[in-house]
Parts: sequence; structure tokens; C-alpha cells
Amino acid sequence: MKSTRALILVFLALLFAWIGQVGIGYVQVGRLQPVLNEETNYTEPPVPSGLAQTGARVFASEGCIECHSLSVRGPIGSSDLTRGWGQRRSVPRDYLFREPALVGFARIGPDLSNIGERIKDPAELMMHLYDPRKRKPASTCPPHPWLFEKRIAGPKTENDALPLPQINWKQTIPSYSAKSLVAYLQSLNLSYALPEAPLK
Amino acid sequence: MTSSSATNSKASSASLVLLGGSIIWSLLAGGFQIISTIKLLIPLLSRLLPISFFSYGRLVPASTFLLTYGWIGAGLLGVLLILAPRISGIPFRHGRFLIVGALLWHLAVLIGFTQILWQGSTGLLSLPYSRSVTAVFFVSFLILGIGISRGLGGTWKSGPLLPRFYLLGALLAFPLGLGTAEIILRQSVAPGSVQIITQLVWHSFFNHLWLTPLALVFLFQLMPSLTGRAVSSLPLGLLAWIATFTLGGWLSNSLASDGPVPAWMQSAGVIATLLFFVAVLGNGVLLRPLLEGKMDEIRRNVALRFLSVGAWAYVSAYAWLAFLSFPGVRQTTAFTMVSSATQTLLCLGFLGCVLTGSIYALLPASRNVGWPSHPALTWHFWCTTIGLAITASSYALAGIFQGLAWSDPGVPLSTISSYLRPFLCTAIVGQALWLVGQIAFSALFFSTVLKLFPKTAPTAVFPISIVDNPDTLQEIYS
Repeated sequence: MKSTRALILVFLALLFAWIGQVGIGYVQVGRLQPVLNEETNYTEPPVPSGLAQTGARVFASEGCIECHSLSVRGPIGSSDLTRGWGQRRSVPRDYLFREPALVGFARIGPDLSNIGERIKDPAELMMHLYDPRKRKPASTCPPHPWLFEKRIAGPKTENDALPLPQINWKQTIPSYSAKSLVAYLQSLNLSYALPEAPLK
Repeated sequence: MTSSSATNSKASSASLVLLGGSIIWSLLAGGFQIISTIKLLIPLLSRLLPISFFSYGRLVPASTFLLTYGWIGAGLLGVLLILAPRISGIPFRHGRFLIVGALLWHLAVLIGFTQILWQGSTGLLSLPYSRSVTAVFFVSFLILGIGISRGLGGTWKSGPLLPRFYLLGALLAFPLGLGTAEIILRQSVAPGSVQIITQLVWHSFFNHLWLTPLALVFLFQLMPSLTGRAVSSLPLGLLAWIATFTLGGWLSNSLASDGPVPAWMQSAGVIATLLFFVAVLGNGVLLRPLLEGKMDEIRRNVALRFLSVGAWAYVSAYAWLAFLSFPGVRQTTAFTMVSSATQTLLCLGFLGCVLTGSIYALLPASRNVGWPSHPALTWHFWCTTIGLAITASSYALAGIFQGLAWSDPGVPLSTISSYLRPFLCTAIVGQALWLVGQIAFSALFFSTVLKLFPKTAPTAVFPISIVDNPDTLQEIYS
């Protein structure tokens, strides 16, 4: 076999892999549209806010995906639903507005696909980011103090300051990255039904 | 010095730049691996040292990036620069460009690694760096690839067909895969789920269509040369070759989660993984007779020893992947530490051992030096192989326990974390052993390159001077 023939053969094989998966994948799931919820008159999945979209990049850059997945499986062969990580399994339409779209390959901690539904209070999420053990003493999640600033407190405590004792009159204020990350985590919410994935 | 030998000397410098840099990256990666596993074992460390660039979420992608692009990628390109002109009989032209290409590769690794530590990873599979780093990798690969591919056509004077074909495919897969992934993922062409599919395809391209075929080039080139035996069946080899390139791009789908990827893709991934393993077995059948009855030579020749371990790891890694792809097994082991076991087996076991064996075999020919008969050689071999065996088995067992525990909703998260501790301890021991082996190797490499040892008693030499004399290859393959 000549090298040119081998080259053509390999090129076709590689092309087959791209077209077979990404091409057909695009035809199958790339054209999915959000579904209109007639009760609320909102589309689902909802379009995340700009802050949440920034937060998705912070989520990726902080490496949260190394320990948390973003995909609820089940109900057969998985305990994800029983553990309360979601009311239904994840489907391709859920990832429609995710940028970057991540799934993760490890679960050192729980799945976060539905964390916005599980923890509704942004202050609680903020505290978890600052020091997870203040919220859950047994947590193995590392703290992220670099997402917060220590600022000298004025006559009044700032609205978004964490409820922590002040040391040297300094209060702990979440940075823009922390706020966007919390906005992103709150946007992770699978509490809506889709035609292909009704709520259990 | 003639112009040809001057040019080859520059090419040899380029390969030294790539190899020297790759060894340094491997030491850094090994260190980061240990630190990240310790952080996972003792979460208190993260509280004592709350530094952003030292966090678990950044150390893990940084060490994976350094291992794949820094150690394996740069190393394999480096040994290819030694091998290609000696096999084709065509000396490199414009050797200075190759040095520039080698430096650019390391620059890309340096920028990528710094970005991951300081700004964080992009989170994308096998693409954790920014667009600018992709551009530098591309330019570097273009320069090095043109240099390596000279003589791939009809002018490759002698020698076997299989390594040439694997090289051809690997040289095509990397730019095609990286370019397409970059366009689809970062030009926002693809919506949601298609991005995930693209990441999986690129991950397959990177591991199974670029790194694996590159390592196979060395297995099929060096093992016949070192043992003096020919590969027995060319049709079987060609069948395995075409199966590798047809199926390799589909492998990662088999390990994808249920949700974001259409179900048929997972099924296709499972079938591809099983068939790919058949192709791997085909290659195994070709390689096994080369080593039969050669135990004494394997003991004596450190290059052959590493290549043999690499060949075993090749079959084991893909057997492991095939086992994991079965639906029942995947359900249990998805999102567990078995992915770390797979990475250890594939990256450190197969690719790492083949790379090391190739360096041991080819560097003496390139620099006209012999490896010193030194305890460091023995230390390197045993620390590396025992280290990677302990690490891979620790992660595999940890993953299986973790998966079984995740399947039982009655087991709380804190209990699952406590299940992992003994395995993480042994994994740290394995990683430390591997790092000790690499330190011994780096000491050997740099002292040999700097000619600190006398040229006596080389332990990794060819039985006949095969690399400098293509005619001897003809004798073997005729």
C-alpha cells in the first residue's frame, strides 16, 4: 500500500469520526429549542443571566468540575434521584445555554445539576464558598478565600458582607467572581419538566 | 563537518531540547500529582494553605496537562526527531527551524501550565488552555511535523510499513483534531450538548489517535530492531492499523454520562471500544513472538525492558477500557476514580514506558554515547513500574469501592470519602515511587547528555548497529 493511499484512508477515517459524531450529533441535539411553559409563560430551560454566564467560567477556572459532576442519571442503575440530586435525569436540552458545557468525570462531592433548587439562599452558597466547614463541619470541599476581599468596615456593615466576626475591623466582602459563581450555581436548577424528561 | 552532519547535529539539538524539557515537565507533573492527592487525602491542608494557584481544582488539570503535553507529547516528538532521519535515510534540512519548533512547543506548555495555575483551566476535556496556546502548539507542530514527515512517502528507503503508517495517521490526527475542536468549541459554533460531544471526540483524538499511534511507531520500529525478529504478519498489522484509526475517535463516548449525549452514541462508543480492543489484541499477537524466549535480553537491555512493559501496559490499558465500557460496569464506575486508574495505565504505563524505552534505545545512537552501567538504571526501572502498578491498582480499587458506595443511596458522602483514604495513601506511595524513578532517570539523562560518564559499558545498545544502517533493517524485514 502506498503512503498516499494510506493517507487518504486515514483522512477518511478521521473525517468519519468527526462527521459521525459531531455532525449527526448536531442534527440530533444541536437544533433543540427551549420549551414554552404555558403555566408560567417562560421558556425552559431558562436563559441564564449575564452574571451566571460569567460564573460558569469561574466554575471552570476554579476546577470545581474536578470534584463535582453536572449530570443527574437514572432512575435505572443509579441512585442520583434517590439521593435527592434532582427530580429527573439530565437530558441534552438542559445544556442548551451552558457555556462552556461541562459534565465532569469525578464525584468527590455531590452532583451540582440541581444545586440551585437544593440551596436556595445565596448567602448560604456564599458562605460555603468562603469556608465550607462553617456550613457543613464534615465537608471535604476546599475553601476559596481568594474569591473574597477583606475591607475595613465603615459605620455600617455592607449588605453583602459575610456574617463573620470582624478581625481588625475588617469585613469579608464577596468579589465579583464569587457573586457570579453563586449566580451560576443558583441557575443550575432542574426543577422544570421537559417533554422528554418529566418530573418524577 | 559537512553541511549534512551540521544540519543533523541541529536536529539532534532540537530533539535534546524536546527530551530535556519533557523530563523536567514530568518531574513537575509528578510533584503536582502527589500534592493534589495529599490534598484530597487531608482536606485540612487546603484550609492551612488557601492559595488559589495551589488549590486542588488547579493542581489536577495542571499535572494532567504537564503529563500529556509536556512529558509524553514533547518526549515522543523528541525521539521521533532522532528516529525519522535514521530510518528514512534522509537528513533534516533547516535544522534551526526544528530547534525553533522544539522551543515553541515548550513555550506553549509553559504558557498553558502558567495559565492553568494562575487563571484556572478552561474546564474543557484535553483542552484546558487558551486559544493563544493552541496557536503556539499549532505553529510548533507544523514545524516539527514537516521535519518528521520528510521521507514518509516513497523515499522512505527501507524498514517496516507499520510504523510509517502509524506515524502518518498520528501526524494527521493531531492538527485535524485540535483545529476542529478549537473551531467548534471556542468560536461558539456548537450549542450545549454538541460541545460535550466535541470534547469527547477531541479527547479520543488526543489519546487514541495521536499519542497511542505515536507510541506504536516506536513499538513496531524498535522491538523488531532490538530483538532481531520481524513482525510475523503484515496483513494483520494493517488490519489493526486501519481499525485503530477508524475506531479510535469513538472511544470516549463509551465512558460518557447518560444525560447530555444521545444514547446511540454511548452504544456506538461501547462497540468501538470492544472492537478497538480486538485491534489491540491483534497488535499484541504481532508483538508477543518478538519477546518470546528473550528474557535474558530483556533483563540485560533496559530499553527492551521498558518497551516490553509498555507493550503489556498497552494491552492492559485497552482491556481495562473495554471492561469499563460494559453498560453495567459503566453505570457503577462512572464519575469515580477509575478514570484516574485508566489515565495512569495509559499515560504512565503504556505511553510513558514506550517513551522511556525509546529514549534509552535511541539517544546513544544520536549522541554517540552509551548509558552508564549504573544503579540508577535499576532504580529507574523498578521505581517506575512498581510505582505505576501501585498507583493504577489503588485508583482502580478506590473507584470500584466508590462506585459501589455511590450506587447505594444509604451510604452518606462522608462515609464514601472515608472509604477512599487507604487507597489514596497507597496511591501517594505509588506516585512517590514513580517520581523517584523519574528523578533517577533525569539524573541519568542529563549526565549522559553532558557526557559526565565515560563511554564504557553501555547497557542499552542495539545488538547490531541498526539505526545508522538502514540495510540491516532490510535484512530483518526481508
